[in-house]
Amino acid sequence: MSCTYHQQTITEDGQLLLKKAQTDQIETVWDRHQAQLPQCGYCELGLSCRNCIMGPCRVDPFGEGPQQGVCGADADIIVARNLCRMIAAGAASHSDHGRDLVEVLANVAKGQAQGYAIRDPEKLKKVAAEYGVETLGKDILVIAGELAFAMQEDFGTRITELTLLKRAPAKRREIWKNVGITPRGIDRETSEMMHRTHMGVDNGWQSLLLQGLRNALSDGWGGSLIASEVSDILFGTPSPKPTNVNAGVLKKDQVNIVVHGHNPVVSEMILMASQSSELIQLAESKGATGINLAGVCCTGNELLMRHGIPMAGNHLMTELILSTGAVEMMIVDYQCIMPSLGKVASCYHTRMISTSDKARFPGMEHREFHPENAEELAKALVQEAIQNFDNRSRIYLPVEPVKAIGGFSVESIVGALGGSVAPLLDAIKAGKIRGAAGIVGCNNPKILHDYGHVTLARRLIENDILVVDTGCAAIATAKAGFKMPDAIQFAGPGLKDVCGALGIPPVLHLGSCVDNVRILMLAGALANALNADISDLPIAGGAPEWYSEKAVSIAAYFVASGVYTVLGPMPPIAGSLNVVKLLTEGLRDVVGAVFAVEPDPEKSAILIRRHIEERRKALGLGFHTL
Amino acid sequence: MNQVIVHPERCVGCMQCMAACATAHSRTRQLFSAIRETPLPRSRIHLGTGLYAEGFPNRCRHCNPAPCMLACLPGAIHRDMQTETVYVDPDRCINCASCAMACPFGVIRYHEDASAPPKKAVAIKCDNCMERQQQERVPACVEVCKSGALTFEDNSKALKRKTDQVAQSISAGIDVPQGSPSFTLLNTIKRAQIAVRHAAV
Repeated sequence: MSCTYHQQTITEDGQLLLKKAQTDQIETVWDRHQAQLPQCGYCELGLSCRNCIMGPCRVDPFGEGPQQGVCGADADIIVARNLCRMIAAGAASHSDHGRDLVEVLANVAKGQAQGYAIRDPEKLKKVAAEYGVETLGKDILVIAGELAFAMQEDFGTRITELTLLKRAPAKRREIWKNVGITPRGIDRETSEMMHRTHMGVDNGWQSLLLQGLRNALSDGWGGSLIASEVSDILFGTPSPKPTNVNAGVLKKDQVNIVVHGHNPVVSEMILMASQSSELIQLAESKGATGINLAGVCCTGNELLMRHGIPMAGNHLMTELILSTGAVEMMIVDYQCIMPSLGKVASCYHTRMISTSDKARFPGMEHREFHPENAEELAKALVQEAIQNFDNRSRIYLPVEPVKAIGGFSVESIVGALGGSVAPLLDAIKAGKIRGAAGIVGCNNPKILHDYGHVTLARRLIENDILVVDTGCAAIATAKAGFKMPDAIQFAGPGLKDVCGALGIPPVLHLGSCVDNVRILMLAGALANALNADISDLPIAGGAPEWYSEKAVSIAAYFVASGVYTVLGPMPPIAGSLNVVKLLTEGLRDVVGAVFAVEPDPEKSAILIRRHIEERRKALGLGFHTL
Repeated sequence: MNQVIVHPERCVGCMQCMAACATAHSRTRQLFSAIRETPLPRSRIHLGTGLYAEGFPNRCRHCNPAPCMLACLPGAIHRDMQTETVYVDPDRCINCASCAMACPFGVIRYHEDASAPPKKAVAIKCDNCMERQQQERVPACVEVCKSGALTFEDNSKALKRKTDQVAQSISAGIDVPQGSPSFTLLNTIKRAQIAVRHAAV
């Protein structure tokens, strides 16, 4: 184990907890990454293929060994197939998450989901109208049932175009149509992607990558979008709320329950249970002063956005949060939950609970949530967490929490602007705000933890670029203090003025990783207001610390929607310079946007500023040449 | 005489040489059964990690004079004059670690092995796959290396190739592509990633 904590994370809580973890002999994600080095170059290059058992195969990047797999696929085909399968897995993850929410919506409509309700009937009606569901004079639950049914059609085969594509600017839809990447059904595109990458199906590396983009669009304008919209309908559309972030949000005198994962279906029920007076009394009878619910990762973001529930940390902090010894229970649903967590928890009194029928973990107790038992099970679990308070031994909470504001939805941003995006556009036109950038994605032990997110955000706001962020990136910048209105002190003069006048931070928390669609919808709304395409806007995306297949899908749907996107880590594509060239240059002529890869966030900021100034120039706005 | 030659600039770090070496020195010589054997066969070639997370296949150089051989008190290490291969005799080895201390490359390990008396840890190192060579097969690590980081050839041939490469790289006005553009791109990104971390700290 390494003692150079400052080479692993820039966060104070992270460094101190790494030291604690080392003392407690906890193996962390950094140790396991170190043990994997050197990592397999064929796999890093995308040149290994395990799709069939004539293989496995690999292509020699030096040109002397095998240049084709057993089937005859060359480097271009193998790299494209591998990348496309990453997109399919990412799109499937978001979309399955969305489907689970639609199922809850359908159950609520049938009265079979005790504890769940329609918390935002206005949004229900608005979305239902988009789906062609008649709302006038109809009972809210009937609308919910019909909307759930209509959304389930989006997952199937009987429609030819996803319903919510109509939110996209007309020019963008035209591009998709001309290129032949209009997504038809959510599951259909993922299914077709897996089909095309089977041996002996699609062996055009370009056509494979185009289907990859269509598959990603079925996530961004389908699965993720439905996940985000239905979450708002069931649990409320977010509005700005104060909260606290970092490991210091755990409380020494309270029963600490941490939720981890992505889907609010479980965590919302845990929140309700933790607020029950009966259970709070039970906690007090055990000598605690209350029940403290906190989140990590995106299920935490979902609660933070809607209820201001504090956030203990992002992806690389999930093991370290347990090493505080202060967590009575961690309740997980799915995605990004390291299977190592059960082992870490076994060194402390922490009880680990898995809840999803599709996600099991070693060292966790499985207590399966379904809409019909969720309310009851949540209460039972909170009660058990309270009982575990007695078993706590020494705890270590090394830092004080940082304040932040979360909960910016498109609705609340438009609301803050007085009902339309016009004031934001005016500020952009006037050049006070040069443009906007989304910083999204994960943490990755290959990258100094949080350095990519925080550095990129700092440089962008200095450059008068409004930052919106989600997921682990949003947690990183919150911990760095960028999500308070007084963070305008770090912003350039124009952005400082605008945010100061509105009383908002220069870095806006837009939610979880499925909530990247909020960024997409905001971009669509700006383009629509200008009667332009998304690719015309002075906007960009960055994923400086991404690691997951979901992130590949997100980046691909951003690019396919016309947003220039800068990645920190290199995806496994370097094995084919044709694929690299298409993704970083060629796509400009296809979808009007490209990917870039830049490991240095300082330089990523320059790339983004340069892109934004180029777009300003093309729009006839004042611009600077960089 | 053919020998195993390492070309570190071509190592992609896939570790297939290690798996092949362990299998070649197992009882059953088959990967699927080798991983169920007791003692578990272990590799004699060891993949190191460079400063930029690049791989390096580290194996016995069969030095002459061999420091391990000079350090071995019971005389368990000897050289086969024909093949220049340095061998350890597991029956004579007393597990004293003198050879490992003397070895400048750290390629001698101690463990139980299919070739040694049961329950006895002995010094284990590369034997140039002599058994395979007698069957006219190349050493296992070379056979599985598809990126050309390990070759089995005459030293003079390898050096001639290298010399030509150097000569071509200084040919005036002609841009001769060296190595793999893909691998160079990957390594550039990895180096930048690590440089960013160092600069930030």
